[in-house]
Amino acid sequence: MRLALAIASFVVLIVHGVVFYDQFFYRWERHQTAYFEQARSLSKNERERAELDARSPRIEQTIVTSFGDTRVDRCTTCHIASDDPRFAGHAQPLKSHPYSAAMGDVQRNGRWERRHKFSDFGCTVCHDGQGRGLETKYSHGEDEFWPEPLTGYVTQATWRKDFAAKLKGNTYMEANCAQCHTAEDFAGTPSVNRGRKLFYAMNCYGCHKIDGMSEGTLGPDLTEAGKKFKIDYLWESIVEPRANLASSFMPKFNLAERDVRALVVFLKSRRGVNFAETSLDRYKAHVENVAVVIPPGTAGEKAGEQLITDRACTACHKLGDRDGGIAPDLSYEGLIRDNLWLMDHFTNPRSRVPDSIMPTFRFPGEDFERITAYLGTLKTPPPAMPPADTYKTLCARCHGEKGDGEGKVAWYLDPAPRDLTKVGFMNSKPRERFVASIQEGVAGTSMPSWKNALKPEQVNGVLSYVLTTFTKEPSREIKPHNVPDQNPVASSATSIQHGEAIFLERCTGCHGRKADGKGPNSLDITPKPRNLRNAAFVASVNDRRLFDGILYGVQGTAMPSWIDYGLSKNDVGDIVNFIRSINQKKGSQQNAGQ
Amino acid sequence: MSTLLPETKPEKGAWSALKEMPSNVWSSIFRNPLPSTDLERASTSFTNFFLHIHPVKVHKNTLRPIYTMGLGLISLFLFFILVATGILLMFYYVPSTTQAYDRMLDLRGTVAFGIFLRNMHRWSAHGMVAIVFLHMCRVFLTGAYKKPREFNWVLGVLLLLVTLFLSFTGYLLPWDQLAFWAITVGSSIAGYAPLIGQQMKFVLLGDTTVGQEALLRFYVLHVAVLPSVLVLLIAIHFWRIRKDGGLSRPEQPQCETAVVKMTLEPAKKKVYGLQGFVRGPFTKVGNVPDDSVYAWPNLLLAELFVFVLTVSLILLVSLAFNAPLEEPVNVMHPPNPAKAPWYFLGLQEMVSYSAFWGGIGIPGLMVALLLIVPYIDRGTKGVGRWFAKERLLANTIFLTLVILNVIFIIIGTFFRGPNWAFVSPF
Repeated sequence: MRLALAIASFVVLIVHGVVFYDQFFYRWERHQTAYFEQARSLSKNERERAELDARSPRIEQTIVTSFGDTRVDRCTTCHIASDDPRFAGHAQPLKSHPYSAAMGDVQRNGRWERRHKFSDFGCTVCHDGQGRGLETKYSHGEDEFWPEPLTGYVTQATWRKDFAAKLKGNTYMEANCAQCHTAEDFAGTPSVNRGRKLFYAMNCYGCHKIDGMSEGTLGPDLTEAGKKFKIDYLWESIVEPRANLASSFMPKFNLAERDVRALVVFLKSRRGVNFAETSLDRYKAHVENVAVVIPPGTAGEKAGEQLITDRACTACHKLGDRDGGIAPDLSYEGLIRDNLWLMDHFTNPRSRVPDSIMPTFRFPGEDFERITAYLGTLKTPPPAMPPADTYKTLCARCHGEKGDGEGKVAWYLDPAPRDLTKVGFMNSKPRERFVASIQEGVAGTSMPSWKNALKPEQVNGVLSYVLTTFTKEPSREIKPHNVPDQNPVASSATSIQHGEAIFLERCTGCHGRKADGKGPNSLDITPKPRNLRNAAFVASVNDRRLFDGILYGVQGTAMPSWIDYGLSKNDVGDIVNFIRSINQKKGSQQNAGQ
Repeated sequence: MSTLLPETKPEKGAWSALKEMPSNVWSSIFRNPLPSTDLERASTSFTNFFLHIHPVKVHKNTLRPIYTMGLGLISLFLFFILVATGILLMFYYVPSTTQAYDRMLDLRGTVAFGIFLRNMHRWSAHGMVAIVFLHMCRVFLTGAYKKPREFNWVLGVLLLLVTLFLSFTGYLLPWDQLAFWAITVGSSIAGYAPLIGQQMKFVLLGDTTVGQEALLRFYVLHVAVLPSVLVLLIAIHFWRIRKDGGLSRPEQPQCETAVVKMTLEPAKKKVYGLQGFVRGPFTKVGNVPDDSVYAWPNLLLAELFVFVLTVSLILLVSLAFNAPLEEPVNVMHPPNPAKAPWYFLGLQEMVSYSAFWGGIGIPGLMVALLLIVPYIDRGTKGVGRWFAKERLLANTIFLTLVILNVIFIIIGTFFRGPNWAFVSPF
């Protein structure tokens, strides 16, 4: 016991020694001592030598209060020669900071004067890193947790090896320059300027919001991206959008490395309130919807085709052999959509497909016209081929290879493509309805009209293929229900009111209180309940189909037969009037205005 | 001055007074010389303020390392380290959301021994939670909570809870991402309590979310309120050990006759002082045949050894591993997954199955069960032995619960990735 006690005590003693050594012998002291010695040998001035002799190592620090939160920069504790021109040729940390005319430094009487004095700016305002640190690892931010490692010099161990090397270079420091030099054409920040242009040119603004620049809502708000994310995260998110969030539908833009870097620098410079503005300026930018002005793209013969490439349409859409895998195929656009539809859809996608996620791009009108004109020329119908191949070429992208409605882009379409394997639905509808859906399209959805692209026998062929391959069961002969062709109840305020009351009582569980198809039960239901505010769709459906659907239910969906739950024909008439009324409001107001 | 030594008469004046001063001062403080007889050994224990907490004699069983494993003592010494390092850290810390993190950086970079103090404090805190828990396991598995030690067991359970809460409140103070989100998760678990959950959370945080108010409250709880409560409870815990007749030990029938003889005989002759009325088993002095040894030096040496061992371990760990310090708090950017401190990860894992039962129901039941277990399990058999056969049922139930909890903690710590999905750490 006593021996063990003695050994343990000895350990304590040793550890104390190690701790004392560890805590009291700093590397920076050695750097400072080396500096004093070398400066003394370089000095030709007796007084300066005496001063250097008298100096002993101590922590040097600059307290910077002019730029955001108070910064305590102790960098000059090691980099003690940073302002001593005699040390220009030395190795770090005893190298003096270079002078540069581009940075605004001026030479007077053979001596350089800095534009950005260290006493005013400190170090971390430009370089990032941890100002309070006194150990290389911490002060340079090499530990994985420091949010702002030394920009352009240090990569953290957790950063991805395949592009970590690309994250070095003083280009990245421009993000810090741009905190004060906010002019869009400031010569000192070419990458930021280029990144800002790319942010518009590559349509980033369509999905992402940056206060005062854009108002997209599909992607994350990037107003403070530079504050929240490190450059490796930004790079990764652009190059490989799904690396961080598997469900991200941000397209892969396949940008050149130079462009990625410019975007990263630009995004790194977005930190909410920058040094050049007050929080009031920021608020104003937030409140005023700054209209994005995109300069017109190429004009001339092939302008439309060129614009499709320039504006990165194929980052989402398919055209020829380029396929973004998010949005519909444009290859037969001239056959399936007319120019009016295209122009309407460009200026506001939701005017034609109310639940479309396509951003409203702010291209100048002539750009849209040129793209529309080009798309209108895509009138080559698909070659004649067996129905199975026709299905694969035209339908599978949305309805899926297996006809289950899980095509490549189905996730991004609302309403979702029909599940063609759902027997209950597929075999309860007359063949004419499917033919009509294919030939005329379904209004208010992504299903276009194929009548110009496919001959009637081709349509029939594809339909037969679908019914035999996916649905498999033969069509059931449905006894015609006793439903009126026209709504017998005249639309009136009382009728609409009564219809709304029934709707709120019976229908909101699935169709939602706003009738937008997003009721609480809708999460568990496939196919999803209809969005009854989809005006284009509602207008395309006649009263007979509405009556039939409500009174006798829709087979193969969650819509029950309401006649079994006590709804009379008059009740349904009121509901139909209500549904029609919420979809006509806008139009009638417009009419009233005209 | 030294009243105990009558042979030293006041002699010729100032010079000899000066000469004898060191020994006089010494003997005035430590009234006994280093003991060489049993009487002196006994009086060493009861004349010294710091030693009189010890009994004069302790049972040999108490000193068997394999019996107690010194777990209670280790907890105490860790607490001493925590108090010492904690007070030093208080000189540098500011409980302000704008300054706390900067102070951590200062501790790491500029303050002499700063990082080392923080390491010691951090690792001792984790160690104390673990050791207090193990101490409880030891007491249960040796059946030491049985009559007459029931209440001391209850105190012990309370001590465990206070220790957990102390560690939890300290977790927030660095004000980094780790702290912020761990406390956010931890306090949300408290919010699942029925009826008063949300109010309790609000009182604890002083706000609906973790912020400046929460930081200040946690700080005050951590440095003032909870340590005081802990010290008080520890004092009672120790006092009860003495009053309950020392540490538990296996029953020894031949010893009991001696006790009976001893208590009966003087009762006929002697007039009792006030102390004589104190009931309960009392310490035996004299040539009673039993298995006890003198506290000085046996117990003292054992304690010293445990102390030195604890300190050296903590020093070594603190030298080798730095206490984690993550990014400064970013309320908008939660880590995925956000995890509570490790000792609450078992709870968080259970919460992922059911918010109420995992966070409040089951832990509440467990604590309640722990508190009343000595009043349910009234058998007197199997005290003072590890895994006594007579206590097979109780030990099995206890061990099952402990192992379940440990498994949950391990799953929560190592096997849970983003969105609390199961991941393999290998």
